[in-house]
Amino acid sequence: MFTPMTSVLLIDDDTELTKLLQEYLEEEQFHLDAAHDGVVGLQKALANQYAVVVLDVMLPGMSGLDVLKQLRQKSSVPVLMLTARGSELDRILGLELGADDYLPKPFNPRELVARLRAILRRTTGGGISASGKPLHLADVELHPDSRSVTCGGKSVTLTGAEFDLLYTFLRSPGKIISREDLTQAALGRPMSPMDRSIDVHVSNLRRKLGTYDGNHERIKAIRGSGYVYLLPGEQL
Amino acid sequence: MPRGLFLKIFLWFWLAAAGIIGYLNLALWISIAADPNPERNHGAFGEALNLYAESAVQVYDREGTQAFAQYVSRSMTEAGSEISLFDGSGKPLTPQSSSDATSVADQVRSTQQHVSQVTALGRITWGREVEGPSGKNYIFVTRLRQPYQPRRLTAIQVTTAILVGGLIAYLLALYLTSPVKKLRSTVQAFAQGNLDVRVSPALGKRRDELTDLGRDFDHMAERISILIDSQKRLLADISHELRSPLARLSVALELARKNSPPGAAPPLNRIEQEAERLNELVGQLLALTRLESGAERVPAEIVLLEDLVQQIIDDANFEAKPLNKEVKIIQLDKCRVNGSAELLRSAIENVVRNAIRYTAGRTTVEVGLYWKLETAELTVRDHGPGVPEAELEHIFEPFYRVSEARDRASGGAGLGLSIADRTVKLHGGTIQAKNVDGGLLVIIRLPLAPSQTGSSGSQDHAIFSPAPLASG
Repeated sequence: MFTPMTSVLLIDDDTELTKLLQEYLEEEQFHLDAAHDGVVGLQKALANQYAVVVLDVMLPGMSGLDVLKQLRQKSSVPVLMLTARGSELDRILGLELGADDYLPKPFNPRELVARLRAILRRTTGGGISASGKPLHLADVELHPDSRSVTCGGKSVTLTGAEFDLLYTFLRSPGKIISREDLTQAALGRPMSPMDRSIDVHVSNLRRKLGTYDGNHERIKAIRGSGYVYLLPGEQL
Repeated sequence: MPRGLFLKIFLWFWLAAAGIIGYLNLALWISIAADPNPERNHGAFGEALNLYAESAVQVYDREGTQAFAQYVSRSMTEAGSEISLFDGSGKPLTPQSSSDATSVADQVRSTQQHVSQVTALGRITWGREVEGPSGKNYIFVTRLRQPYQPRRLTAIQVTTAILVGGLIAYLLALYLTSPVKKLRSTVQAFAQGNLDVRVSPALGKRRDELTDLGRDFDHMAERISILIDSQKRLLADISHELRSPLARLSVALELARKNSPPGAAPPLNRIEQEAERLNELVGQLLALTRLESGAERVPAEIVLLEDLVQQIIDDANFEAKPLNKEVKIIQLDKCRVNGSAELLRSAIENVVRNAIRYTAGRTTVEVGLYWKLETAELTVRDHGPGVPEAELEHIFEPFYRVSEARDRASGGAGLGLSIADRTVKLHGGTIQAKNVDGGLLVIIRLPLAPSQTGSSGSQDHAIFSPAPLASG
C-alpha cells in the first residue's frame, strides 16, 4: 500500500489556503511545499526537483505570468496554473507561455488532485510509451523516447501537453479527432463544460509548427467535430 | 486618400479662388471694352487731333491728293491710324474708307459737331469738319489705333493663377485638417482602449483652437484613465478578497468531508453547492461591473460568429444531455463581427444556458444564426414557460426575478442575461426577448464587420432568410 510521496510546489500568497491544502494533499500522497511570493517561488522551483508546480497567477510583487515566463526559460517542469475565474486573458496567456493546464480559482480540491494526477500520468510516462518508434509526417519528426520534435530539420520546443497533442495527431493524420478525445489524450483528463484549453493548446502547436509550404494550414478545425491534422497537399 | 473636411476645404477654397480669378478677368475685360474714355475728346489729345486735322486739310486743299497722301502716310504707318477725307457733302476723297469712317462722316455732316465713336475693343473713330484755306469744307475722319490693348489675361496665365490658387487651397486645407486628423486617430485609439494616448505631442508647437481642443481632450483622457485604472484595481481586489475565503472554504469542506461520518454528507454537499453558487455569483457580479464601468474594452478583432456559436452549442450540449435536453442549430450563416470573442462567447453562453435551464425536459433549444445585410441575428428559442408579457423588458435587469414559475429553485442567479445585455450593447448590438408559442425567444443582433456588410461575401447566404421559428 505504500506509495512514495510526490512533491509539489505551490506558489500562492494565501498562507491559510496553502496550510489547508498541505493538510488535504498530504492524505492524497502529495508533499506540498509552499512559496508565498513569486521571487521565492521561482527560486524554489528552479532549485528543487518538483513533480509539478502549482502557480497562482495573482501574486503580489512578481506576477504569476512573469514567474512562468522565467521558469520556462530554464525548466520544463509541469505547471498547473490557478487563474481567477472569468479572467480568460490570464488563462490564455498562461497556456501560451507554456503552462500545462489551468484551474479556475476557487477550485474544489478534488479537482486539483485530479488535475495533478493527470499531469503526472502524462509526464511520468503513463501516457505515451517511452519507447515508441519515431513518427514522420512530411517535414515533422517526433521522437517519443526523447520527447523531442523537429520541423523542417529544426528542433521545436513543445510543452508536455503540446507534445502529447502532436503525438495524437501524428498517429492518425487526416482523421478528425474530437475535442473530447484530444483533451483526454493531451491533458490526461476529460473535457469539462465550457473548457477551451484544448483550443489554446492547438493554436500554440499551430503557431510553433508554422504552415506547410504555400501557406497551407497543418491543423484544421472542423466545426462541431474537432480538429484534423492535414496530410501535406490535402485541402479540405 | 484625403476626404471629408480636407476635401471640402480644399475644393471650396479652390473654387472660390478660381471664381475670383475668373470674375476679375472678365470684369477687367468688360470695363476696358466698355470704356469710351471721354477725356480723349478734350484736352491736349483733342487739341492735337484738331491741329493735325487742320494741317492735313490745308495740305489737301493747297497741294492736292498726292501731297495729302504723302503727308498722312507717315502718321498712318507710324501711328497705325487710318485717315479718310470727305468733302462737305460726304463724298470720300481718299481711297478705301472704312465703314466706321463713313458713318462717322455722315454723323459729322448731320450734327455739325465733333464726333468720336468707340468701336470694337476701344478703337476710336474721330471726325470733324474742317474749313480749308480755299473756303471749301472737308470732313476729316481718323480711325485711331487702339489706344491700348485691353489686356486680357492669356489662358496660360489664368490656368497658372488657378493652379496656384489650388496649391494654396491644398496647403490651407492640409494645415487646417491635419490636427483634426491627428486628434481623430488619437480619439480612435483611446476608444479602442489605449488609454495612454495623448494628442499634445502630435500637435507640436502650434497654437490655436484646435490645439486647445487637443489639450482639453488630453485632460479628459487623463481623468478617464485614472478612473478606469482605479476601477480595475478595485475590481481585481474585490475579486481576490471575495474569492480567497471561498477557496479556503472549499478546501476546508473537503477536509471535513474526509473526517466525517457518512451521515454528514448531505449537509456538506449542500455547503459545497451553496459555495459554488456564491462563487458563480461573485464571478457574474464582477463581470457585470466590469462591463458597466467601462473597464472592459472591445478589441477590434474579427470574430467568426458561426464558429463561436458552434463551439458554444457543442459545449452546451455537453451540459444539456444529462438533463435530457438538447441544443440544436437550425441555421448557421457565416457572420463576421468586430469585437471580443471572449466577451461575446460569455454573452451567448449565458443566453443559451438560460434557455437550457428553462426549456422543459425532453425538449430542444433551437439556435439560429442569420446573416442579414448589415447585422448578424442570433436567435435562441426554448420550449419553456416563457415570461409574463409585462415583465419581458425587465428580464435583462440585474437580479430581476420573474414573479411566476422562473425562480431561484431553477438555479439562476439572475445575472446571466444582464451580462449578455451589457456585452451586446458594448458591441453596438441589441438584445430582445419575446414570447413565442410555448417558449421564450431571445434575439441578439450585432452589427456585421464592415467588410461583410452589403452584398460582399454573401453569395452563399440567403439574403431573405425565412423568419426564424415563425410557425412555432
